[in-house]
Amino acid sequence: MTFSREMTGGHDDLPGPGQDRCPGDVDLHRVWLGVAAEVWRRRPGLVERLAGRALRSPGLARALVTTPSLLLAWVIATAVVLVAGMFATLGTGTPFVALFAPAVAAAGIAYAYGPGIDPAWELSQSMAVSHRMVLLVRVLVVFALDAALGLAASAASGAAAAVTFGWLVPMTAVSALALAVATVTRSANAGAAAGLAAWAITVLSVHTASGQVATAVTSSALVLPYLAVAAAGGAIAWAATRIPKGTS
Amino acid sequence: MGCHPYSERDVMNVEISDVTRRFGRTQAVAGVTMETGPGVFGLLGPNGAGKTTLLRMMATVIPPSSGRVRLLGRDPAGYLPRREIRRRLGYLPQNLGYYPGFTVAEFVEYFALLKELPPGRVPQAVATAIDRVDLGGRARAKLRTLSGGMLRRVGIAQAIVNEPELLLLDEPTAGLDPEQRVTFRALLRDLGERATVIVSTHLVEDVGAACSAVALMDAGKIVFQGTPDELTARGEGTGAAGDAPLERGYSAVLAAARSATAAA
Repeated sequence: MTFSREMTGGHDDLPGPGQDRCPGDVDLHRVWLGVAAEVWRRRPGLVERLAGRALRSPGLARALVTTPSLLLAWVIATAVVLVAGMFATLGTGTPFVALFAPAVAAAGIAYAYGPGIDPAWELSQSMAVSHRMVLLVRVLVVFALDAALGLAASAASGAAAAVTFGWLVPMTAVSALALAVATVTRSANAGAAAGLAAWAITVLSVHTASGQVATAVTSSALVLPYLAVAAAGGAIAWAATRIPKGTS
Repeated sequence: MGCHPYSERDVMNVEISDVTRRFGRTQAVAGVTMETGPGVFGLLGPNGAGKTTLLRMMATVIPPSSGRVRLLGRDPAGYLPRREIRRRLGYLPQNLGYYPGFTVAEFVEYFALLKELPPGRVPQAVATAIDRVDLGGRARAKLRTLSGGMLRRVGIAQAIVNEPELLLLDEPTAGLDPEQRVTFRALLRDLGERATVIVSTHLVEDVGAACSAVALMDAGKIVFQGTPDELTARGEGTGAAGDAPLERGYSAVLAAARSATAAA
Protein backbone atom coordinates (compact mmCIF):
# COMPACT_ATOMS: atom_id res chain seq x y z
CA MET A 1 0.00 0.00 0.00
CA THR A 2 1.47 3.31 -1.02
CA PHE A 3 1.27 6.57 0.80
CA SER A 4 -1.15 8.04 -1.75
CA ARG A 5 -3.57 5.17 -1.28
CA GLU A 6 -3.44 5.43 2.49
CA MET A 7 -4.19 9.11 2.34
CA THR A 8 -7.17 8.60 0.03
CA GLY A 9 -8.65 5.67 1.83
CA GLY A 10 -7.28 3.00 -0.46
CA HIS A 11 -8.63 4.15 -3.83
CA ASP A 12 -7.09 1.77 -6.32
CA ASP A 13 -7.84 4.01 -9.28
CA LEU A 14 -5.02 6.38 -8.27
CA PRO A 15 -1.78 6.11 -10.24
CA GLY A 16 1.08 4.51 -8.37
CA PRO A 17 4.78 5.35 -8.41
CA GLY A 18 6.09 5.65 -11.93
CA GLN A 19 2.64 5.82 -13.49
CA ASP A 20 1.79 8.86 -15.52
CA ARG A 21 -1.23 10.96 -16.25
CA CYS A 22 -1.78 12.59 -19.61
CA PRO A 23 -1.88 16.41 -19.72
CA GLY A 24 -5.22 17.80 -18.59
CA ASP A 25 -5.78 15.23 -15.87
CA VAL A 26 -5.08 16.01 -12.25
CA ASP A 27 -2.17 13.89 -11.15
CA LEU A 28 -3.41 12.97 -7.67
CA HIS A 29 -0.31 10.98 -6.91
CA ARG A 30 1.83 14.06 -7.46
CA VAL A 31 -0.57 16.14 -5.36
CA TRP A 32 -0.29 13.73 -2.45
CA LEU A 33 3.48 13.66 -2.76
CA GLY A 34 3.42 17.41 -2.39
CA VAL A 35 1.30 17.07 0.73
CA ALA A 36 3.66 14.42 2.10
CA ALA A 37 6.67 16.64 1.41
CA GLU A 38 5.11 19.41 3.48
CA VAL A 39 4.02 17.09 6.30
CA TRP A 40 7.41 15.37 6.58
CA ARG A 41 9.45 18.52 6.02
CA ARG A 42 11.86 19.28 8.85
CA ARG A 43 12.32 22.94 9.68
CA PRO A 44 16.01 23.68 10.43
CA GLY A 45 16.62 25.50 13.70
CA LEU A 46 18.47 28.79 14.07
CA VAL A 47 21.86 27.16 14.70
CA GLU A 48 21.52 24.96 11.64
CA ARG A 49 20.46 27.87 9.43
CA LEU A 50 23.38 30.01 10.62
CA ALA A 51 25.81 27.11 10.23
CA GLY A 52 24.49 26.44 6.73
CA ARG A 53 25.27 30.01 5.74
CA ALA A 54 28.68 30.02 7.43
CA LEU A 55 29.76 26.67 6.00
CA ARG A 56 28.00 27.27 2.65
CA SER A 57 26.64 23.74 2.89
CA PRO A 58 23.27 22.66 4.28
CA GLY A 59 24.65 19.11 4.44
CA LEU A 60 27.56 20.12 6.68
CA ALA A 61 25.21 22.20 8.83
CA ARG A 62 23.02 19.13 9.29
CA ALA A 63 26.10 17.05 10.16
CA LEU A 64 27.07 19.69 12.69
CA VAL A 65 23.77 19.78 14.57
CA THR A 66 23.31 16.00 14.54
CA THR A 67 26.76 15.23 15.93
CA PRO A 68 25.88 15.50 19.66
CA SER A 69 22.94 13.11 19.25
CA LEU A 70 25.14 10.64 17.36
CA LEU A 71 27.84 10.84 20.02
CA LEU A 72 25.61 10.93 23.06
CA ALA A 73 27.61 8.34 24.98
CA TRP A 74 30.74 10.43 24.54
CA VAL A 75 28.98 13.61 25.68
CA ILE A 76 27.76 11.90 28.84
CA ALA A 77 31.21 10.43 29.54
CA THR A 78 32.82 13.84 29.08
CA ALA A 79 30.36 15.48 31.45
CA VAL A 80 30.93 12.80 34.10
CA VAL A 81 34.72 13.07 33.90
CA LEU A 82 34.71 16.84 34.04
CA VAL A 83 32.25 17.05 36.91
CA ALA A 84 34.36 14.53 38.83
CA GLY A 85 37.42 16.62 37.98
CA MET A 86 35.70 19.76 39.24
CA PHE A 87 34.94 18.21 42.63
CA ALA A 88 38.45 16.80 42.87
CA THR A 89 39.86 20.24 42.08
CA LEU A 90 37.75 21.83 44.79
CA GLY A 91 38.86 19.19 47.27
CA THR A 92 42.60 19.04 46.52
CA GLY A 93 43.56 22.30 44.80
CA THR A 94 45.13 20.44 41.87
CA PRO A 95 43.59 21.46 38.45
CA PHE A 96 42.21 18.04 37.61
CA VAL A 97 39.74 19.49 35.09
CA ALA A 98 42.58 20.86 33.02
CA LEU A 99 44.59 17.68 33.37
CA PHE A 100 41.70 15.39 32.39
CA ALA A 101 40.30 17.43 29.51
CA PRO A 102 42.92 16.66 26.81
CA ALA A 103 42.62 12.94 27.46
CA VAL A 104 38.82 13.14 27.27
CA ALA A 105 39.07 15.09 24.01
CA ALA A 106 41.47 12.51 22.55
CA ALA A 107 39.03 9.71 23.19
CA GLY A 108 36.15 11.81 21.90
CA ILE A 109 37.89 12.57 18.61
CA ALA A 110 39.06 9.00 18.10
CA TYR A 111 35.55 7.65 18.63
CA ALA A 112 33.86 10.28 16.47
CA TYR A 113 34.87 8.87 13.10
CA GLY A 114 35.78 5.75 11.21
CA PRO A 115 34.55 2.32 10.11
CA GLY A 116 32.74 0.56 12.92
CA ILE A 117 32.33 3.88 14.76
CA ASP A 118 30.06 5.85 12.48
CA PRO A 119 27.27 3.47 11.44
CA ALA A 120 26.92 5.15 8.05
CA TRP A 121 30.65 5.50 7.42
CA GLU A 122 30.56 3.45 4.21
CA LEU A 123 27.73 5.59 2.82
CA SER A 124 29.50 8.79 3.84
CA GLN A 125 32.47 7.77 1.70
CA SER A 126 30.32 8.05 -1.43
CA MET A 127 28.80 11.47 -0.71
CA ALA A 128 29.47 14.70 -2.60
CA VAL A 129 30.09 16.49 0.71
CA SER A 130 33.53 15.15 1.61
CA HIS A 131 33.67 12.80 4.57
CA ARG A 132 36.76 14.76 5.62
CA MET A 133 34.57 17.82 5.99
CA VAL A 134 32.11 15.84 8.08
CA LEU A 135 35.03 14.69 10.20
CA LEU A 136 36.26 18.25 10.69
CA VAL A 137 32.77 19.34 11.64
CA ARG A 138 32.67 16.63 14.28
CA VAL A 139 36.07 17.69 15.58
CA LEU A 140 34.70 21.18 15.93
CA VAL A 141 31.66 19.93 17.84
CA VAL A 142 33.82 17.86 20.19
CA PHE A 143 36.05 20.86 20.94
CA ALA A 144 33.08 23.17 21.38
CA LEU A 145 31.36 20.80 23.78
CA ASP A 146 34.58 20.23 25.69
CA ALA A 147 35.14 23.96 25.96
CA ALA A 148 31.59 24.58 27.14
CA LEU A 149 31.71 21.78 29.69
CA GLY A 150 35.18 22.82 30.83
CA LEU A 151 34.08 26.41 31.23
CA ALA A 152 31.11 25.37 33.32
CA ALA A 153 33.20 23.00 35.43
CA SER A 154 36.12 25.36 35.98
CA ALA A 155 33.78 28.16 37.02
CA ALA A 156 33.63 26.41 40.36
CA SER A 157 37.27 27.28 40.98
CA GLY A 158 36.83 30.94 40.06
CA ALA A 159 39.43 30.86 37.31
CA ALA A 160 37.25 29.88 34.40
CA ALA A 161 38.95 31.77 31.61
CA ALA A 162 42.50 30.89 32.60
CA VAL A 163 41.78 27.20 33.04
CA THR A 164 39.72 26.94 29.87
CA PHE A 165 42.28 28.68 27.70
CA GLY A 166 45.05 26.89 29.53
CA TRP A 167 43.88 23.46 28.46
CA LEU A 168 42.32 24.25 25.07
CA VAL A 169 45.72 24.34 23.41
CA PRO A 170 47.04 21.05 24.82
CA MET A 171 43.62 19.53 24.17
CA THR A 172 43.87 20.55 20.54
CA ALA A 173 47.29 18.95 20.25
CA VAL A 174 46.28 15.69 21.89
CA SER A 175 43.05 15.48 19.87
CA ALA A 176 44.89 16.10 16.61
CA LEU A 177 47.36 13.37 17.50
CA ALA A 178 44.54 10.94 18.30
CA LEU A 179 42.78 11.83 15.08
CA ALA A 180 45.96 11.32 13.03
CA VAL A 181 46.69 7.92 14.56
CA ALA A 182 43.06 6.81 14.24
CA THR A 183 42.87 7.72 10.58
CA VAL A 184 46.26 6.24 9.68
CA THR A 185 45.63 2.96 11.51
CA ARG A 186 41.86 2.99 10.81
CA SER A 187 41.42 2.12 14.45
CA ALA A 188 39.70 4.34 16.99
CA ASN A 189 41.24 2.27 19.77
CA ALA A 190 44.73 2.96 18.45
CA GLY A 191 43.96 6.67 18.14
CA ALA A 192 42.56 6.88 21.66
CA ALA A 193 45.50 4.91 23.06
CA ALA A 194 48.02 7.14 21.30
CA GLY A 195 46.34 10.32 22.54
CA LEU A 196 46.01 9.09 26.11
CA ALA A 197 49.57 7.75 26.16
CA ALA A 198 51.04 10.94 24.73
CA TRP A 199 49.22 13.06 27.30
CA ALA A 200 50.22 10.80 30.16
CA ILE A 201 53.87 10.96 29.07
CA THR A 202 53.68 14.75 28.81
CA VAL A 203 52.16 15.16 32.26
CA LEU A 204 54.57 12.71 33.90
CA SER A 205 57.64 14.16 32.19
CA VAL A 206 56.88 17.74 33.22
CA HIS A 207 56.08 16.47 36.69
CA THR A 208 59.49 14.83 36.82
CA ALA A 209 61.19 18.00 35.57
CA SER A 210 59.31 20.56 37.65
CA GLY A 211 57.96 18.59 40.56
CA GLN A 212 54.44 19.87 39.79
CA VAL A 213 51.86 17.85 37.89
CA ALA A 214 49.97 21.00 36.82
CA THR A 215 52.92 22.38 34.84
CA ALA A 216 51.67 20.52 31.72
CA VAL A 217 48.74 22.94 31.48
CA THR A 218 50.19 26.07 33.07
CA SER A 219 53.59 26.44 31.42
CA SER A 220 53.44 28.91 28.52
CA ALA A 221 56.71 27.43 27.18
CA LEU A 222 54.77 24.32 26.14
CA VAL A 223 52.24 26.15 23.98
CA LEU A 224 54.42 26.19 20.85
CA PRO A 225 55.20 22.45 20.99
CA TYR A 226 51.49 21.77 21.49
CA LEU A 227 50.62 23.87 18.44
CA ALA A 228 53.30 22.09 16.40
CA VAL A 229 51.88 18.69 17.37
CA ALA A 230 48.37 19.89 16.51
CA ALA A 231 49.48 21.10 13.07
CA ALA A 232 51.38 17.89 12.35
CA GLY A 233 48.46 15.73 13.51
CA GLY A 234 46.04 17.69 11.33
CA ALA A 235 48.31 17.36 8.31
CA ILE A 236 48.68 13.61 8.83
CA ALA A 237 44.90 13.15 9.14
CA TRP A 238 44.38 15.19 5.98
CA ALA A 239 46.91 13.11 4.04
CA ALA A 240 45.56 9.82 5.39
CA THR A 241 41.98 10.56 4.27
CA ARG A 242 43.03 11.75 0.80
CA ILE A 243 41.89 9.42 -1.98
CA PRO A 244 45.08 8.48 -3.84
CA LYS A 245 45.20 8.40 -7.60
CA GLY A 246 44.48 4.77 -8.28
CA THR A 247 43.90 4.99 -11.99
CA SER A 248 46.53 4.79 -14.66
CA MET B 1 6.26 5.38 -20.29
CA GLY B 2 3.54 7.72 -21.51
CA CYS B 3 4.52 11.34 -20.84
CA HIS B 4 7.95 10.48 -19.47
CA PRO B 5 10.31 13.47 -19.50
CA TYR B 6 13.45 11.41 -19.91
CA SER B 7 14.93 10.27 -23.18
CA GLU B 8 17.15 7.33 -23.97
CA ARG B 9 20.85 8.17 -23.91
CA ASP B 10 23.42 6.22 -25.80
CA VAL B 11 26.21 6.70 -23.29
CA MET B 12 28.51 4.43 -21.35
CA ASN B 13 28.02 5.49 -17.75
CA VAL B 14 30.50 2.92 -16.49
CA GLU B 15 33.79 2.23 -18.29
CA ILE B 16 36.19 -0.04 -16.46
CA SER B 17 39.38 -1.28 -18.03
CA ASP B 18 41.68 -3.94 -16.56
CA VAL B 19 40.92 -2.90 -12.99
CA THR B 20 42.51 -4.69 -10.05
CA ARG B 21 42.20 -4.25 -6.31
CA ARG B 22 44.36 -5.79 -3.63
CA PHE B 23 43.92 -5.82 0.15
CA GLY B 24 47.34 -6.78 1.45
CA ARG B 25 48.06 -10.20 -0.04
CA THR B 26 44.47 -10.79 -1.10
CA GLN B 27 43.57 -10.08 -4.72
CA ALA B 28 39.89 -9.16 -4.51
CA VAL B 29 39.50 -7.98 -8.12
CA ALA B 30 41.88 -9.34 -10.74
CA GLY B 31 41.66 -7.48 -14.03
CA VAL B 32 38.02 -6.62 -14.71
CA THR B 33 36.95 -4.88 -17.90
CA MET B 34 33.34 -3.87 -18.47
CA GLU B 35 31.18 -1.14 -19.96
CA THR B 36 27.54 -0.40 -19.44
CA GLY B 37 25.02 2.29 -20.28
CA PRO B 38 21.44 2.87 -19.08
CA GLY B 39 19.61 -0.28 -18.05
CA VAL B 40 19.68 -2.79 -15.23
CA PHE B 41 22.95 -4.70 -15.06
CA GLY B 42 23.22 -7.72 -12.80
CA LEU B 43 26.48 -8.64 -11.13
CA LEU B 44 26.27 -12.26 -10.12
CA GLY B 45 28.71 -14.50 -8.34
CA PRO B 46 29.32 -16.62 -5.27
CA ASN B 47 30.37 -15.12 -1.93
CA GLY B 48 33.92 -13.76 -2.11
CA ALA B 49 33.88 -13.39 -5.90
CA GLY B 50 34.80 -9.69 -5.71
CA LYS B 51 31.37 -8.19 -6.47
CA THR B 52 31.28 -5.92 -3.44
CA THR B 53 34.84 -4.69 -3.99
CA LEU B 54 34.06 -3.89 -7.63
CA LEU B 55 30.91 -2.06 -6.57
CA ARG B 56 32.79 -0.09 -3.90
CA MET B 57 35.27 1.06 -6.54
CA MET B 58 32.38 2.17 -8.76
CA ALA B 59 30.91 3.99 -5.75
CA THR B 60 34.24 5.87 -5.38
CA VAL B 61 34.58 4.50 -1.84
CA ILE B 62 37.91 2.87 -2.63
CA PRO B 63 40.28 3.46 -5.55
CA PRO B 64 41.51 0.62 -7.75
CA SER B 65 45.05 -0.69 -7.24
CA SER B 66 45.55 -0.46 -10.99
CA GLY B 67 43.52 -0.03 -14.15
CA ARG B 68 41.25 2.66 -15.49
CA VAL B 69 37.82 3.70 -14.21
CA ARG B 70 35.51 6.27 -15.79
CA LEU B 71 32.08 6.94 -14.33
CA LEU B 72 29.47 9.13 -16.00
CA GLY B 73 32.19 10.21 -18.43
CA ARG B 74 34.51 11.40 -15.65
CA ASP B 75 37.67 10.22 -13.96
CA PRO B 76 36.92 9.75 -10.23
CA ALA B 77 40.60 10.19 -9.32
CA GLY B 78 40.25 13.99 -9.48
CA TYR B 79 38.48 15.85 -6.67
CA LEU B 80 36.06 17.92 -8.78
CA PRO B 81 35.05 15.10 -11.18
CA ARG B 82 34.62 12.77 -8.20
CA ARG B 83 32.38 15.29 -6.46
CA GLU B 84 30.28 15.63 -9.62
CA ILE B 85 30.02 11.84 -9.94
CA ARG B 86 28.91 11.57 -6.32
CA ARG B 87 26.14 14.13 -6.85
CA ARG B 88 24.71 11.86 -9.56
CA LEU B 89 25.39 8.59 -7.79
CA GLY B 90 23.18 6.38 -5.65
CA TYR B 91 24.77 3.67 -3.53
CA LEU B 92 23.33 1.02 -1.25
CA PRO B 93 26.14 -0.74 0.64
CA GLN B 94 25.89 -4.39 1.57
CA ASN B 95 25.81 -3.47 5.25
CA LEU B 96 23.82 -0.30 5.56
CA GLY B 97 24.65 1.49 8.78
CA TYR B 98 21.93 3.73 10.15
CA TYR B 99 21.45 6.21 12.92
CA PRO B 100 18.87 4.62 15.23
CA GLY B 101 17.58 7.94 16.54
CA PHE B 102 16.80 9.32 13.09
CA THR B 103 13.36 8.96 11.54
CA VAL B 104 13.02 7.53 8.04
CA ALA B 105 12.45 11.01 6.60
CA GLU B 106 15.38 12.51 8.55
CA PHE B 107 17.77 9.78 7.38
CA VAL B 108 16.82 10.15 3.72
CA GLU B 109 16.95 13.95 4.03
CA TYR B 110 20.41 13.83 5.65
CA PHE B 111 21.89 11.96 2.72
CA ALA B 112 20.01 14.10 0.20
CA LEU B 113 21.80 17.11 1.71
CA LEU B 114 25.16 15.33 1.70
CA LYS B 115 24.58 14.60 -2.00
CA GLU B 116 24.25 18.37 -2.42
CA LEU B 117 20.71 18.27 -3.69
CA PRO B 118 19.46 21.89 -3.81
CA PRO B 119 17.75 22.47 -0.42
CA GLY B 120 14.54 23.66 -2.08
CA ARG B 121 14.17 20.33 -3.86
CA VAL B 122 14.93 18.17 -0.84
CA PRO B 123 11.43 17.82 0.76
CA GLN B 124 9.80 16.74 -2.52
CA ALA B 125 12.71 14.40 -3.34
CA VAL B 126 12.54 12.82 0.12
CA ALA B 127 8.77 12.30 -0.13
CA THR B 128 9.10 10.77 -3.59
CA ALA B 129 11.90 8.40 -2.56
CA ILE B 130 10.07 7.24 0.57
CA ASP B 131 6.88 6.73 -1.41
CA ARG B 132 8.67 4.70 -4.07
CA VAL B 133 9.84 2.19 -1.49
CA ASP B 134 6.38 2.04 0.10
CA LEU B 135 7.42 3.48 3.45
CA GLY B 136 5.01 6.40 3.44
CA GLY B 137 3.20 5.05 6.48
CA ARG B 138 6.47 4.89 8.47
CA ALA B 139 8.11 8.14 7.36
CA ARG B 140 8.15 9.51 10.90
CA ALA B 141 9.12 6.25 12.60
CA LYS B 142 12.53 6.02 14.25
CA LEU B 143 14.90 3.69 12.42
CA ARG B 144 15.42 1.64 15.58
CA THR B 145 11.77 0.57 15.40
CA LEU B 146 11.92 -0.82 11.85
CA SER B 147 12.35 -4.40 10.70
CA GLY B 148 15.34 -5.54 8.63
CA GLY B 149 13.33 -5.45 5.40
CA MET B 150 12.10 -1.92 6.14
CA LEU B 151 15.63 -0.75 6.88
CA ARG B 152 16.72 -2.18 3.53
CA ARG B 153 14.00 -0.11 1.87
CA VAL B 154 15.19 2.98 3.75
CA GLY B 155 18.62 2.28 2.28
CA ILE B 156 17.13 2.07 -1.19
CA ALA B 157 15.25 5.35 -0.60
CA GLN B 158 18.45 7.22 0.30
CA ALA B 159 20.13 5.72 -2.77
CA ILE B 160 17.45 6.99 -5.18
CA VAL B 161 16.63 10.30 -3.48
CA ASN B 162 18.79 12.28 -5.94
CA GLU B 163 17.38 10.44 -9.00
CA PRO B 164 20.85 9.08 -9.73
CA GLU B 165 22.22 8.49 -13.19
CA LEU B 166 24.31 5.67 -11.76
CA LEU B 167 22.71 3.49 -9.09
CA LEU B 168 24.78 0.82 -7.34
CA LEU B 169 22.92 -1.68 -5.19
CA ASP B 170 24.74 -4.34 -3.18
CA GLU B 171 22.41 -7.21 -2.26
CA PRO B 172 19.34 -4.92 -2.34
CA THR B 173 16.77 -7.69 -1.82
CA ALA B 174 18.41 -9.12 1.31
CA GLY B 175 15.76 -9.14 4.04
CA LEU B 176 12.84 -8.34 1.72
CA ASP B 177 9.86 -10.67 1.73
CA PRO B 178 8.69 -12.22 -1.59
CA GLU B 179 6.01 -9.58 -2.18
CA GLN B 180 8.46 -6.75 -1.53
CA ARG B 181 11.00 -8.36 -3.85
CA VAL B 182 8.49 -8.44 -6.71
CA THR B 183 7.66 -4.76 -6.10
CA PHE B 184 11.34 -3.90 -5.88
CA ARG B 185 12.12 -5.60 -9.19
CA ALA B 186 9.44 -3.45 -10.84
CA LEU B 187 11.08 -0.38 -9.30
CA LEU B 188 14.45 -1.53 -10.65
CA ARG B 189 13.07 -1.89 -14.17
CA ASP B 190 11.56 1.59 -13.92
CA LEU B 191 14.81 3.13 -12.66
CA GLY B 192 16.76 1.32 -15.39
CA GLU B 193 14.85 3.14 -18.10
CA ARG B 194 16.82 6.32 -17.47
CA ALA B 195 19.77 5.35 -15.29
CA THR B 196 22.49 2.77 -15.17
CA VAL B 197 21.53 0.41 -12.36
CA ILE B 198 24.10 -2.15 -11.25
CA VAL B 199 22.78 -4.78 -8.89
CA SER B 200 25.20 -7.06 -7.10
CA THR B 201 23.53 -10.23 -5.89
CA HIS B 202 23.96 -13.92 -5.46
CA LEU B 203 20.24 -14.46 -6.07
CA VAL B 204 19.91 -15.60 -9.67
CA GLU B 205 16.15 -15.04 -9.77
CA ASP B 206 16.59 -11.30 -9.14
CA VAL B 207 18.75 -11.05 -12.24
CA GLY B 208 16.35 -13.06 -14.39
CA ALA B 209 13.41 -10.89 -13.40
CA ALA B 210 14.91 -7.41 -13.59
CA CYS B 211 18.18 -7.28 -15.53
CA SER B 212 18.78 -6.71 -19.22
CA ALA B 213 22.46 -7.62 -18.96
CA VAL B 214 24.47 -9.71 -16.57
CA ALA B 215 28.07 -10.40 -15.62
CA LEU B 216 29.16 -13.38 -13.56
CA MET B 217 32.22 -12.99 -11.35
CA ASP B 218 34.37 -15.66 -9.79
CA ALA B 219 37.72 -15.30 -8.01
CA GLY B 220 37.94 -11.60 -8.85
CA LYS B 221 37.34 -12.00 -12.57
CA ILE B 222 34.36 -11.70 -14.89
CA VAL B 223 33.84 -15.17 -16.34
CA PHE B 224 30.66 -14.39 -18.27
CA GLN B 225 29.08 -11.27 -19.71
CA GLY B 226 25.87 -11.22 -21.73
CA THR B 227 22.09 -11.28 -21.39
CA PRO B 228 20.16 -13.47 -18.95
CA ASP B 229 18.95 -15.50 -21.95
CA GLU B 230 22.54 -16.13 -23.02
CA LEU B 231 23.42 -17.23 -19.50
CA THR B 232 20.42 -19.57 -19.51
CA ALA B 233 21.58 -21.05 -22.82
CA ARG B 234 24.96 -21.92 -21.29
CA GLY B 235 23.24 -24.37 -18.98
CA GLU B 236 21.18 -26.22 -21.56
CA GLY B 237 22.14 -29.84 -21.92
CA THR B 238 25.00 -29.63 -19.46
CA GLY B 239 23.32 -31.33 -16.53
CA ALA B 240 24.46 -28.47 -14.30
CA ALA B 241 22.84 -28.13 -10.86
CA GLY B 242 19.95 -25.74 -10.38
CA ASP B 243 16.18 -25.55 -9.96
CA ALA B 244 15.63 -23.00 -12.74
CA PRO B 245 17.14 -22.62 -16.23
CA LEU B 246 19.06 -19.48 -15.24
CA GLU B 247 20.48 -21.22 -12.18
CA ARG B 248 21.68 -24.08 -14.37
CA GLY B 249 23.38 -21.56 -16.67
CA TYR B 250 25.02 -19.93 -13.65
CA SER B 251 26.27 -23.28 -12.35
CA ALA B 252 27.53 -24.36 -15.78
CA VAL B 253 29.50 -21.16 -16.36
CA LEU B 254 31.02 -21.30 -12.87
CA ALA B 255 31.97 -24.95 -13.28
CA ALA B 256 33.56 -24.29 -16.67
CA ALA B 257 35.51 -21.30 -15.31
CA ARG B 258 36.79 -23.25 -12.34
CA SER B 259 37.84 -26.26 -14.39
CA ALA B 260 39.63 -23.95 -16.84
CA THR B 261 41.46 -22.33 -13.89
CA ALA B 262 42.36 -25.73 -12.45
CA ALA B 263 43.66 -26.95 -15.83
CA ALA B 264 45.79 -23.84 -16.20
